[in-house]
Amino acid sequence: MKAIHLLIAVLLAAVLAGCSASNMASREQGEDGQFETVLKSNNSLLYSRLQIVELNERSVGDLMQVQATLENAWKFQLDFQYKFKWFDANGFELAPEGQAWRQLILPGRNQANVQAVAPNPTAARYEIWVRE
Amino acid sequence: MFRLLTIALVAAMTVLAGCAAKVDYGDATARETVNTDFGSTDLQMIAAKMVDDMLVFPPIVQMTSQRRPVVFVDRIKNKTTEHIDTESITDTIQSKLLNSGKFRFVDMTVVDRVKEQLDYQADSGLVDPTQAVLMGKQIGAEFMLYGNMSSIVKRDSKTKDVYYKFTLKLMNLQTGILEWSGEKEIRKTRNNTFLGL
Repeated sequence: MKAIHLLIAVLLAAVLAGCSASNMASREQGEDGQFETVLKSNNSLLYSRLQIVELNERSVGDLMQVQATLENAWKFQLDFQYKFKWFDANGFELAPEGQAWRQLILPGRNQANVQAVAPNPTAARYEIWVRE
Repeated sequence: MFRLLTIALVAAMTVLAGCAAKVDYGDATARETVNTDFGSTDLQMIAAKMVDDMLVFPPIVQMTSQRRPVVFVDRIKNKTTEHIDTESITDTIQSKLLNSGKFRFVDMTVVDRVKEQLDYQADSGLVDPTQAVLMGKQIGAEFMLYGNMSSIVKRDSKTKDVYYKFTLKLMNLQTGILEWSGEKEIRKTRNNTFLGL
């Protein structure tokens, strides 16, 4: 009986953690000067189902534009939110309250491109946050 | 008897706790789906899409590369059946464009008050004429931002489907040419379920 209670508690904790946590992806410059995709996650459930398979960036005028290709590796539809966060060269977040969570519904085993433009030309780095 | 009273007490406490009102702050940028009416998430999605689209459109990129054109925001015509504060949408778009450093704006909603202040400075005799703001020095807008908001609502006994379409246009006031136009579509569906199942 105790084992069942323990199992229920662990499952409940896992579900609650899955509801509140976010995934984060960013592209950072390594020591060799080359950009590399860095994936971080504190949501194992969403992380195991949603993957960022490609990150592209370009300059439009002097604004940075980013496109991320997201893939739903799960066989069922994923309904989640994503958000771009932008930072200047000193690490200050640009318009921290101006970037809203955007909704995306991704069918099972499908890919979608999400894009965003930096709020102003001082943007030097970005992060993509994902949550359920 | 004691056990019955305990159960009744616990049940009463549960019911009373359930009735207690709770006020808390929430994330203003989080998804809001209270009902299918136009909401904060729709406003934020529209503003983000319009600003991103406009800032990467090649002729706009070229136009704003060397200078910051002056724009005035006309109203958004609300053709939906809902009461929607469209000025709130254009305010958000205007703020984002202004903060991008690519555009400047003239605010036509305060023209009367600006004129009143300029008249006061020029005519009241209370303001040092050498410090007073000169009349006739304002810069005219080169572009006008305007648009439409429309919706299609369909429903049956179980489902309500709402489709919103927001269109924004940028017109060159000198030539009358449309320099850019952007659209954002939103679909929201509500299904009535039995006991939430």
